Amino acid sequence: MTKHHDRRRLAVTLLAVAAVFSVSLALGRYPITLSGLLAGEEMTVRTFTLLRLPRAVMALLGGFGLGVAGFVYQTVFRNPLASPDIIGVSSGASVGAAFAILFISSGAAATTACAFAGGLMAVFLALGLAAAVPGQSKVSLVLAGIAVHSLAQTLLMLLKLTADPEKELASIEYWIMGSLAGITAGRIGFSCAVIVLGCCALLVLHRQLLLLSLQEDEARMLGVSVAVMRFFVLTVATLVVAAVVSVTGLISFVGLLAPHIARLWLRHNRRTACLMSGLLGSLLLLCADTLAKTTAATELPVSIFTSLVGVPFLLYILLSQRGRTE
Amino acid sequence: MSILFSANDLSVTLGSAPVLQDVSFSVPESAPLVGVLGANGSGKTTLLRCIAGLVPHKGHCMLHGTPLQQLSAKSLARRISYIPQQSGIGISLSVREVVLMGFNPRLGVLQAPSPAMHAAAEQALAQVGLAGFADRDYLTLSGGEQQLCLLARTLVQNAELLLLDEPDSALDLHNRVQMLQMVSVLVHSSGKAAFVCLHDPALALEFCDTLLLLRGGRLMAQLHPKTDPLPETEQLLAEVFGPVQLLRVTDSAGQLRLVLLPKTN
Repeated sequence: MTKHHDRRRLAVTLLAVAAVFSVSLALGRYPITLSGLLAGEEMTVRTFTLLRLPRAVMALLGGFGLGVAGFVYQTVFRNPLASPDIIGVSSGASVGAAFAILFISSGAAATTACAFAGGLMAVFLALGLAAAVPGQSKVSLVLAGIAVHSLAQTLLMLLKLTADPEKELASIEYWIMGSLAGITAGRIGFSCAVIVLGCCALLVLHRQLLLLSLQEDEARMLGVSVAVMRFFVLTVATLVVAAVVSVTGLISFVGLLAPHIARLWLRHNRRTACLMSGLLGSLLLLCADTLAKTTAATELPVSIFTSLVGVPFLLYILLSQRGRTE
Repeated sequence: MSILFSANDLSVTLGSAPVLQDVSFSVPESAPLVGVLGANGSGKTTLLRCIAGLVPHKGHCMLHGTPLQQLSAKSLARRISYIPQQSGIGISLSVREVVLMGFNPRLGVLQAPSPAMHAAAEQALAQVGLAGFADRDYLTLSGGEQQLCLLARTLVQNAELLLLDEPDSALDLHNRVQMLQMVSVLVHSSGKAAFVCLHDPALALEFCDTLLLLRGGRLMAQLHPKTDPLPETEQLLAEVFGPVQLLRVTDSAGQLRLVLLPKTN
């Protein structure tokens, strides 16, 4: 019964993702028609291949990556509030992006590279700090993550203080709010490769992931090299998040919300729930980005809409679950 | 008489406090079910965690002549299975997934359990009385059912040495007796050994071949209830559990049983 239901729900979600992906390709500032595209109109084809398609692909893969990474964090930390930022990746990426905007260039390549490097540095700092502290390493990791997050926020404040309020500060703030507006075909290749490879690795390691959700002693006595496996899984999940946010800026809520909805809907933690979490992440980000580019005359930050779309969906699922249990 | 398991000078210190001091004993193949008895804080759980290599300690343990400290995590898990007092399962998992975890020591990192392993998991669930529970959510089971599910996981792990830390704590009398019976049959029929921490000395006397009596982190005595003289056993148990009386009685089936009663004034 469960497997049949799971498959049907996965299929419905996949169809919804495909539908919103198509809508996202069709909508945007520059009007694109299917006939124009098929006729090979130069401007239409260029806009489609260089801007519209890469943006939709990034929303699709980025959302998927954040959803899967969120699922991994919540499972490994056994904490429903764990999100990809729990070990400081987003704040580290913000510092990297702000550094690039202030000292290198506000161009896409520099901010992407620096944000990626910042995210990784923050995570390795947190992992290193946690490893240096004896005792409960899961708790140490969360505490180290909080410390690194605070440190990154302080650095970010310092960088903002030195920024020119007219241009640089606005760029930093806009980056932090997250947007897929500046995405072009040339910018997403590396990130997409990291997201696809990372998500494949995490889905393949799903059985180990469930073992990591046990108490450390219990997992060890079931033959899991806990420290090594946890380091590997969290590093891969973090790489995926860093690959997303380095291109899009900070995107709130997707990594926190998608796993919750997936679990509430499927009521378990099997691989299908991990996959569902990724698909719901894609759906959320595609919807949010489509709204961000069509709602107002100017592009709006995408994080506004991830919450606006996600919260009613979460409430709907919660209420329908209540009906089911009663 | 060949030795199945031996522990030599096991000592554990937490902070500056010694919680286990110079514990040495050996378990012959003829008496493989070992009950670990003692008051709260006497070092029962620490002894099991020490054997499992989960706490830093001095001294060493040998299982069938192999020093356990030299084994990797995976090899150790193939030879020892451990049921903690409470499992750390805190996320929604099906009972089948929990039992299949027992096969992990025999699987590669990327390997999935085979259909034969799935069938063995179902069989183990039936064996512990949880047939038909495979698709239930582990978190929705009662405490006793959860313990039985973990026992099924231990059964499929098929290790030589079982470490069970108060496996009966959440069980009613019927299930408590049934669980210990299952462990006893498993151990005596397949050449395995088991260390079972128990709070109830009466159950330990009923099922275990050997009893390790711990007090203040030290091994106070190693008892063999089936052969030791009653007054001596009675006196040693009384030192831990207060005044008790041991009686040999014949039950309605004509079997000679050892019964423990608290002494009243």
